Amino acid sequence: MIRLTVNGTAHELEVPSYRTLLDCLRYDLGLTGSKEGCGVGVCGACTVLLDGKMISSCIALAAFADSREVTTVEGLAQDERLHPVQQAFVDAGGFQCGICTPGQVVSAKALLDANPNPSDAEIREWMVGNLCRCTGYYKIIESIRVAAERSRA
Amino acid sequence: MAHRIVGQPVGKLEGLGKVSGQARYSGDVTLPGLVWGKALRSPLPHARILRIDTSRARDLAGVLAVLTAQDLPNILVGRRMFDMPMLARDRVRFIGEKVAVVAAVDPDIAEEALALIDVEYEDLPAVFDPIEALQADAPILHENPAAYEGAPAERPHPNVQSVLRFKLGDVEAGFREADRILEHTFRTQLDHQGYLEPHAGVVAIDDAGRVQVWASNKMPFRLKELLSQALRLPPEQIRVNLTPIGGDFGGKGSLMDLPLAYHLARVTGRPVKMLMRYAEELMAGNPRHPSVITMRTGVRKDGRILARRVKALFNSGAYAAFKPAPSVNLGGTGMGAGVYRIPNLLIEAFCVYSNNIPCGHARSPGEPQMVFAGESHMDMIARELGLDPADVRRRNLLRDGDHLANGHHLEHVRASDTLEAALKASHWAEPKAGPWIGRGMAMTHRHIGVGFTNARLRLETSGTVTLSIALPDTGTGAHLVLRQVVAEVLSLSLDEVEIELANTDDFTTDSGVGGSRVTHTGGRAAYHAAEKLKAQIEAEATKHGIPPGALATIARAAAKDGRTLEASHFYDAKAHAAVTSFTAQVAEVAVDPATGQVTVRHFTTAHDVGTIINPIGHQGQIEGGLIQGLGFALIEEMKTEDGRISTLSLGDFKLPTIQDIPPLTTVILQDPVGPGPFNAKAIGEGSISAVAPAVANAVADACGVRILDLPITAEKVFFALREKVAR
Repeated sequence: MIRLTVNGTAHELEVPSYRTLLDCLRYDLGLTGSKEGCGVGVCGACTVLLDGKMISSCIALAAFADSREVTTVEGLAQDERLHPVQQAFVDAGGFQCGICTPGQVVSAKALLDANPNPSDAEIREWMVGNLCRCTGYYKIIESIRVAAERSRA
Repeated sequence: MAHRIVGQPVGKLEGLGKVSGQARYSGDVTLPGLVWGKALRSPLPHARILRIDTSRARDLAGVLAVLTAQDLPNILVGRRMFDMPMLARDRVRFIGEKVAVVAAVDPDIAEEALALIDVEYEDLPAVFDPIEALQADAPILHENPAAYEGAPAERPHPNVQSVLRFKLGDVEAGFREADRILEHTFRTQLDHQGYLEPHAGVVAIDDAGRVQVWASNKMPFRLKELLSQALRLPPEQIRVNLTPIGGDFGGKGSLMDLPLAYHLARVTGRPVKMLMRYAEELMAGNPRHPSVITMRTGVRKDGRILARRVKALFNSGAYAAFKPAPSVNLGGTGMGAGVYRIPNLLIEAFCVYSNNIPCGHARSPGEPQMVFAGESHMDMIARELGLDPADVRRRNLLRDGDHLANGHHLEHVRASDTLEAALKASHWAEPKAGPWIGRGMAMTHRHIGVGFTNARLRLETSGTVTLSIALPDTGTGAHLVLRQVVAEVLSLSLDEVEIELANTDDFTTDSGVGGSRVTHTGGRAAYHAAEKLKAQIEAEATKHGIPPGALATIARAAAKDGRTLEASHFYDAKAHAAVTSFTAQVAEVAVDPATGQVTVRHFTTAHDVGTIINPIGHQGQIEGGLIQGLGFALIEEMKTEDGRISTLSLGDFKLPTIQDIPPLTTVILQDPVGPGPFNAKAIGEGSISAVAPAVANAVADACGVRILDLPITAEKVFFALREKVAR
């Protein structure tokens, strides 16, 4: 039995000890926004925030999140309004196929929470764990720049 | 002509579901009673299957079914040549080939069950190298490939899947006229498309007995046909439901696990989900063909090419099943001629069976391989002749009225303009910042794709227009482009045109996504449907005396008469247009003499394009393709040891990260002469192929070392530098 809060909602559930946090989110809680890409913690498509810090949920056990707070891509928008990072990815073409995008926007949100005014070098450093095969990354950097500018405005 | 919406950089209104996590991909589809399928794969490259014991797996709690080839009809699958069993029957031919499949109530139990299946194999002699596979005494993979459905007739060796040949003039006569004949051999690596969504599929047999399919497949109608054949079901019994696709790059067009998911669904009476793990993608996806390419070119002293002979061996792996073209070969082979007028030309490409992972299509299939060879070869020719590589290219570039290797006639040829634009933007002629820095150029061009697309438009009583289309969203932004086209024709705003994703019941056919076709074929289908709807709207407005812009009023007036204003169009482009799109690129690199590490300091990419419908999406295609090309040039390689992939995760098989991208200059030469809507061309496959040779040529310029095989790793450059010093 684990207790965890996901996007502000408390859950109590019984899961096998080997259940990953990603599978728990996707299959036990029906939150399929977080994706499994590589399955070994390299590509970042499964990135969620655990107590505000980025983790790869595909290599974290669900039990690890016991008594803690998880934020997934589904938890970023407030009252149907996209988070500024999400809106910037839409406006600046920061995604194409979209499979890495949940992880990208979660990581970008964590970046702007930690550093509201990142340089391009800081964006690259922070986002290095989120692979994207479609965009070539230029528009991801641009999206994060736009989100940071708008947040400052 | 100025447009209102076409050409506007609109990013809005597309992808809200993708950034919010609401978009449902195939792997996200769930149904009541869903169970999980998993496949057991061969650990041996070539072996006879003596015995399979599934009893322990069957006995595991939570397991609903275990199937082997004995439980399935003896049917071979493929896309054009049907040579691959759904599950290995008596014999495995590569490491990763499926030998059994399990359905269980959860994915972990399914995995556990796989470990309980005992298979006894007897090793057979294996062959991995395409040159060895063509020797007289090589192990034979398929005893009688000619008997396979869709098998090409020409087969100089039983291990040859197909031969593709392009011929112009008399190549031997051309060589006799030449002052110099230069020959070089190049190799390119096994490379995965790198989409981050592994193949995913859900198959359910509904109450009416219909087979419902959700799959990461970009050609829903072809999938329906192929499934109908593989499952021996009438096509109308199958419905393919469209979902977004998490990256395609050529790799998402096959049946993959779907026939097995169907059989598990049939046996268990439950919907079945099969997701490949990334390790399975890397051992048994359908990656880009590795190649060995020999180019032999006869030139005059001034650099004019008189004749060229190209021989390409593509190591196709154990099956031909993943290649979709009627030739069962790679169309990019024709790029052996490059962007040049070569009067006497012979290109021959052999796809060869070996005990490796079967290869398939990857973004601009065959072209990155061929263009790496051809454009490296051009620089090597220039160096041998003591000429400027730009001048050698200028002397040979295609011009209006020239013919390609396939006999195709060209007009509006902007090869020269594109090259000069790239040279200017890259400051080609200016001095470099220091030693160990070099510049290299490369060029290519690509056709605008052909195919057929259905589009249907409906005027809603709210005054908005719904575009119904059965083209899945692979991430290219095509749906937004189609909405822009419709909005432009009907003088609507973008948010007044909505997309309604159709399924395979809604239309009769569609060639799907791929081959640089969608902006052209989908765009023209949407364009003509919009013109038809516009005429209907105008007629209806006149009839009721309503202003033609009052769409809601018009729609309601029609509804009152019991009618809906609808229009559809089937656009079918059979022949390629006489225009292509040229690309010229310049890489500036620095080589670290101590380690051999290559750093791309700057990259310039110039493109000859048609009318741009969406500048954000257009640039996104250029950038994405270019970075894929850079990965191919410097980073990506699926390493194999006797048929075993040793890079089985994205930690070992590396894709470019956000830290690997160079400063980029893009030059656009826009020329509204394409066959697409508003004279658009294609862009999705234009930026990938010339990157590797531009980098290789820059490395040669920087340090005098010529790397003939991809990727250009630090190790290769380091040892080549050491060898050069030793000489």
